[in-house]
Amino acid sequence: MFFHNFKYSLKTLLRNKSLIFWTFAFPLILGTLFYMTFSDISSKEKLNVIDIAIIDNEEFKNNNMLKYSFDVLSEDGSENQMFNTKYTDKDEANKLIEEDKIVGYLLIEENTPKIIVNKSGINQTIFKYVTEEVFQKGKMLENLDYSAMNQNIQEIMSSETVNLNNVTNDNLDYIMIEFYTLIAMACMYGSLFGMTSINYKMANISSVGKRVAISPTKKGTTILSSLMASFLLQLIGIVILFLYTIFVLHVDYGSHIEFVVLLAFVGSLAGQVLGVFVGSVFKVGENSKIGILIGIIMSCCFLAGMMGVMMKYVIDTNIPIINKLNPVNMITDGFYALYYYNTFDRYWFNIISLAIYSLILTTISFFVIRRQKYDSI
Amino acid sequence: MNKIIEVKNLTKEYKNIKAVDDLSFDVFEGEILGLLGPNGSGKSTTINSVLSLLKFSKGKIKIFGKEMKPDAYDIKAQIGVVFQEVSVFDELTVYDNIDYFCGLYINDKNIRKNYVEEAINLVGLENFKKFYPKQLSGGLLRRLNIACGIAHKPKIIFLDEPTVAVDPQSRNNILDGIKKLRDNGATIIYTTHYMEEVEILCDRVIILDKGSILAMGTCDELKELTAKSEKITIEVNDLENNIIDKIKKIRNVEDVKYENGILLVTYTKGKENLVHMVDFLKDNKINYSKIFSERPTLNDVFLELTGKELRD
Repeated sequence: MFFHNFKYSLKTLLRNKSLIFWTFAFPLILGTLFYMTFSDISSKEKLNVIDIAIIDNEEFKNNNMLKYSFDVLSEDGSENQMFNTKYTDKDEANKLIEEDKIVGYLLIEENTPKIIVNKSGINQTIFKYVTEEVFQKGKMLENLDYSAMNQNIQEIMSSETVNLNNVTNDNLDYIMIEFYTLIAMACMYGSLFGMTSINYKMANISSVGKRVAISPTKKGTTILSSLMASFLLQLIGIVILFLYTIFVLHVDYGSHIEFVVLLAFVGSLAGQVLGVFVGSVFKVGENSKIGILIGIIMSCCFLAGMMGVMMKYVIDTNIPIINKLNPVNMITDGFYALYYYNTFDRYWFNIISLAIYSLILTTISFFVIRRQKYDSI
Repeated sequence: MNKIIEVKNLTKEYKNIKAVDDLSFDVFEGEILGLLGPNGSGKSTTINSVLSLLKFSKGKIKIFGKEMKPDAYDIKAQIGVVFQEVSVFDELTVYDNIDYFCGLYINDKNIRKNYVEEAINLVGLENFKKFYPKQLSGGLLRRLNIACGIAHKPKIIFLDEPTVAVDPQSRNNILDGIKKLRDNGATIIYTTHYMEEVEILCDRVIILDKGSILAMGTCDELKELTAKSEKITIEVNDLENNIIDKIKKIRNVEDVKYENGILLVTYTKGKENLVHMVDFLKDNKINYSKIFSERPTLNDVFLELTGKELRD
């Protein structure tokens, strides 16, 4: 019975043209468009050393972590060089920024780092992220045992501070950021499969669901086998997207492929669960549900930076809770973490966030789906 | 006869509106029971409650002597349902649709293959096995809908208005198929608002309106409920007024109308009214071109019980 339902679930989903378009074709089309649109921009805006300034006030001088890190990252001729840094005062920094000689400057006031820029862009975003990361690591170190810190400060700093990949290498490319959100979007678009599978099995949602409900096959068997079929198709879609972007669009996903696969898997699971949630909780027609899902996904993609990297920066800076709850951001942020940092803390944080998000939606959906009799159908 | 289904005091309320009001009836093995009533009379709600799809406010339902519950899988295995709306997958062919739904009941592939073929033959879809639902006409879709509900050879079949919006040829095909199912031993609960179908098919009929049972019995028993017994129509020219007065005095005649050469005589209950009328015409040397009798229909019964037509 399980295999019978699994087989026909695959058949029905595979023959649903609208689903196949959104989950298989649309990400490929969008990926191709990204490639055609951004590859030229990317090559022109290849990230080299970024010109910045730092306000050399007392607070900066007293912040060993930031001071040491920017020294290392600004070392002339070093393969780790990321910034060309001018240490100056605020007036001079403002003048430099007006003359476009620097992308922005760092000012530490009241023990809080502030990045001042006059326009948005990838360099400004990188400057902000690096500063934020170093500052957070510094805070973390402050909480360590002081005597131990004193003893091992150099060692700790060298292992914890300068843990950014060489951002001038070929991996860091403007187009990559778009591809991260594209993969995250594809993971979320798998929700359409999950939603359709649930629709077909719920008596209060579809007429075929009524037929399934009056059969002697247990609800758990039909729903589980259908969801497995839809998850399999979703994974196939993601694999096709990866293969297409790697072999046709020549996207380099870096050396941590096993972590990339794990993140895509967990992201797809989260997408599937979102579909089950919308499919079971919303009592509207299938087209309305597709509209709801696409609306949710595109909003999440927008907030995660798909339509402009600065949006992610703005949200992270001003309303971080939104992106903390945004599954698309959890996936894209996981990818950023893989490429920009050697440590995996941030990566695992996103994986765990996705797992918790999936668990919560699954629990709510379970209580809706387990009903066997309905008030009205 | 064995009771297959027992429904006692079934009540279903939607926000203080009683969709089904204290319904009690039994279904006997091998019969076709018709649930006749206008749209909104509670037919589908009754079926969905019996199938344990709908929560109901009050009442008890037993099938094969056991309480019907959502997890009564042994009972469900012996039930087939043809819903009012066409319930098939647009993405599957005719054959695959029937095979899928049959597979929810029958595990064995070989047995299932035979069952699917038999269902296809029963509804006359032999030439459409590889067609997708969107390629089928309305009538053929209805036949597919039926095949999906009965392919696993259930002992009890619920047919909820299976002939709605169906062309006459397909309707005849469907009705023939239903008779065959009954002949093969199935017990059938058939809801419709087409009284002609009920008269052709059903052994017993329950007339529903506003969620309540108005009457229950065989078609003949129900027709006995109406005061009108028979209508006799005669095509006759130049009828004199005194003849009409004489007809009014014939036993059991309730009303006489004469317009445009058509004489319409309505009777109360009585036997051999047509014979008596023919004798009367002969005795009074009245020439007529045509004479025929009409028995009261279930619509007359419904009209008399509710004051409205079945299709109002």
